[in-house]
Amino acid sequence: MPEQSVLIVGGGPAGLEAARGVADLGYKAILVEKRNRLGGTPDEANYAALTPDFRPAEEAMREMADAVQNHPNVELHLNSTVTAASGSVGDFEVTLKNAKGVEKVKAGAVIIATGFTHFDPGRETQQYGYYEFDDVITLVDLEKMLKAHKVVRPSNGQPPKRLCFIQCVGSRDRQIGNEYCSKVCCGIASKEAIEVRQQVPDCKVFIFYIDMRMYGYWENEIYWPAQEKYKVNYIKGIATEVLKKGDQLIVRGEDATFGRPMEVPMDIVVLSVGMEPSAGTKEMAKVFGLETNKYNFIETIGGALNTVTTSKEGVFACGACTGPADLEDSISSASAAALKAVSMLRKVAQAA
Amino acid sequence: MALDLSQNRYAEVPYEEKERLFNEVKRDMRFDEYLYGCYECGICVAACPSARFYDFSPRKIAQAVAREDVELFYIFLNDSIWDCSQCFSCDRCPRQNSPGGLITVMREVAVKNGLASAQQALEGYGRIVYKIMSTGTQVSPDMLQPSAFPDWGPHVKEISDNLDLWRKALPPETLHTTETGWQVSDKTIIELYLIWHHTGVMDMIKEVDEGLFMILADVMEERLEEEGYDVTFD
Amino acid sequence: MIPVETLVKPASERQFNVNPADAPTEDYHDIIFQLEKEGEWEVQRVPEPYIEVETKFGRKKKIPINTTWHHKSCGQCGHIPGYSTSIFWINRKLGLDYLDPTDQTSCTAWNYYASATSNVAAQAAVAMRNFAAAAETGYFPIIHCGTSFGHYKEVRQELIHSPELRRQVRDILAKLGKKLVMPEEIVHYSEWVHAMRHRIAELQVRDMSMVAATVHPACHYHKLVREDAIYDPEIYGAQRTAVITATLKAIGVEVRDYSTWYDCCGFGFRHILVSRDFSRSFATQRKIEVMKEEADPDVVVTHDTGCVTTLDQSQFAAKAHGRNVGVPVMSDSQMAALAMGAHPYKVLQLHWHNTDNKPLLEKIGIDVEKAWKEFEDEVEKIKRGEKQYLTWEDVDA
Repeated sequence: MPEQSVLIVGGGPAGLEAARGVADLGYKAILVEKRNRLGGTPDEANYAALTPDFRPAEEAMREMADAVQNHPNVELHLNSTVTAASGSVGDFEVTLKNAKGVEKVKAGAVIIATGFTHFDPGRETQQYGYYEFDDVITLVDLEKMLKAHKVVRPSNGQPPKRLCFIQCVGSRDRQIGNEYCSKVCCGIASKEAIEVRQQVPDCKVFIFYIDMRMYGYWENEIYWPAQEKYKVNYIKGIATEVLKKGDQLIVRGEDATFGRPMEVPMDIVVLSVGMEPSAGTKEMAKVFGLETNKYNFIETIGGALNTVTTSKEGVFACGACTGPADLEDSISSASAAALKAVSMLRKVAQAA
Repeated sequence: MALDLSQNRYAEVPYEEKERLFNEVKRDMRFDEYLYGCYECGICVAACPSARFYDFSPRKIAQAVAREDVELFYIFLNDSIWDCSQCFSCDRCPRQNSPGGLITVMREVAVKNGLASAQQALEGYGRIVYKIMSTGTQVSPDMLQPSAFPDWGPHVKEISDNLDLWRKALPPETLHTTETGWQVSDKTIIELYLIWHHTGVMDMIKEVDEGLFMILADVMEERLEEEGYDVTFD
Repeated sequence: MIPVETLVKPASERQFNVNPADAPTEDYHDIIFQLEKEGEWEVQRVPEPYIEVETKFGRKKKIPINTTWHHKSCGQCGHIPGYSTSIFWINRKLGLDYLDPTDQTSCTAWNYYASATSNVAAQAAVAMRNFAAAAETGYFPIIHCGTSFGHYKEVRQELIHSPELRRQVRDILAKLGKKLVMPEEIVHYSEWVHAMRHRIAELQVRDMSMVAATVHPACHYHKLVREDAIYDPEIYGAQRTAVITATLKAIGVEVRDYSTWYDCCGFGFRHILVSRDFSRSFATQRKIEVMKEEADPDVVVTHDTGCVTTLDQSQFAAKAHGRNVGVPVMSDSQMAALAMGAHPYKVLQLHWHNTDNKPLLEKIGIDVEKAWKEFEDEVEKIKRGEKQYLTWEDVDA
């Protein structure tokens, strides 16, 4: 009898949704998470509000985690990593490692949901000074400050009067090798810009961009309100350098609309860092022998009509381990992965 | 001076001529690595020293060439490329364009085709070209003449007055020269001339400065003849 | 209230770990050796002993210590000869063997960048002729000029990617009786000074701790073929090139930052000769005046020919107009030599520089008038025909 369980690697939004999906369909979901808690990057990086609906991330992730933690069909392995895998569809044997030692579990199918990591601005082609200046921070750092309602200059603890975002840091850049768009940064920066305006109404907020990529409802839900209601300044032109003059940061770029070089003072510069495959994603591609694309994201082989099937039969992938994804994408692909995995188990069972 | 990008700027030049020059740029082996596409992000402009002093925009040049806009290309080829400082600060382009490199290629095409704008841009530059091509070093001590560098102050005159002595007061044996940066051996110069001959560099000089070409050709042919080479630059 | 440090780490606690696996560019080492296997050219190995340093993406680069072949710079030798003299003097002080060849031409990149009266094949042939000349002596090339260094890196890229260009250059060199030889590394002299900085510091005799400097990294050193330039986690967190800065720190000089450090000097190749107002304005308004205002340095230290010239010479006219300028400009080799006790005129040859450097020399405890007289005495002897030249023996007498 083939195994009637699905092993899911990663306890972030995609993994949680996939596990719940499998369990709701009446199959056993074995969820493996390397940290001691669920919630993934939104929890680990301490996100404030989610994009685009501004729902508190903590509450949303708790809801997702609860749905899985209390589910009778879910077997949870926290503090555990997958170190080896063998077998094939219907009969995988996966080795888990935790503090107590090594354990082998059986599963009929596998879903990889190991997500992304934020681009390290140290590799940025431009000169943004993240490793030089306290007041240069990332989207992730600002999320933490927004959540704590403490948006201040790290250098002196004072609220900023001028804050800007620089878009496409680590994305859309052939020099770095990441030619892709990270998809979410325009929305997240605009969302954070609104929140900064709400929390520090005296602070002027600027977004330096190449193109604002606010597709679908993100346009009317975030971009327009940011520009119209919250008076966020959108400036076409990307900064080449962040410099320091006295205790003030200076952002240098071209204001491409007006065709002139600009040097503008800022109190805080927020780098809109993009997405890269997480260490876990790269590791799982190796362990399960999955094809990856040139950026080391896991390749899905079904084109536009199947976004979760990998090069290895019985192994599916969802969320940001297959490429830049927002929360909506991740949840959708997680449901698709759960459905495909369960369908696969049923097909294998019928054939047996 | 403001750059005139109006459509009738070079109306008198036939489109086919502009297209011919454009295609010459595109055919260069470096072209594909110097220009991909353009986002109009402005990174090249922000980093550019020339953009601060002239109506000069590496972004506009890259954009015009990427669009294959032959008319705009021709305007930039004549009115803009000589403003570039060739510092390559623009090489940080996220599309990995090298606007500075593209301009190097455009300048070569302008020179090879003897464009009046190229001749004008290189006026007063002939002595440098002469020096490098004929002696193998580019900047020589005897170029430090007060008349050439009035804005560098009386110190240039002091050097000029003491040149022979001060060159002798240099411990490296190769630096006692005044007409070349360092002493270049005869065999080396001959090899350099042969390189110019085999790579067609003299043809470029001929297009842009006929007088300079003739002087250089004389000097080099004579020297090569002394060494037993029968080479003519024509 | 939550302290902000618990939310966002200060920059001093952010640690950038460069990982060669993330390098977005090909590794030229692999390719040049592969081409050697295929019989396309020979690779001249970096002689042992060498020092290994890290480049921008965390790859290793070998810097030769001894038996070096010095590819001189036109501008340095022509107009600021203390620059190259200092490099040679340091080699001698360290007891190293080097060659100062006459079988060397300029890289001719000034023609290439300024007047476009050259082409890819000519430039590559000139470069490879010089490399072949070096290889014939068995000494390993060290490139004095930043532009030559940057341009040779470009030439290497072009040769790596174009079999046709390799064929063309190989044919030309064959007519000159030379082989196509690519050095394992293209090394800038400031990389050699960087690699040797601790040995230089061991032989230091002058206290430099009173000196504050600003650094101008040369565009053609770190912007052209950016992956082949030295970076070090201890210097600006590996976010800027480490050459010059690390050397100055090793000899105890205080390095001060200024906001336009990334800007070009304004040299512009053709501009310094035929659009001089541009070079002058840029050098003073964007560089020297900013340094004065923000850092008030005793000296500007850089590592390229055009930069020293432009930054130094441009100050005269600005001073005449009452601008806030007046900072002497030197190369890292001159600063290192100065720390090791070199004579300011016999070795550093500071009389070729323009901006007043007496205050700097006095700060390091040099009796400027006495030193100048010592130099003048030597010049007098030459004038009187008592000696033909100033010799290496004279400079340390």
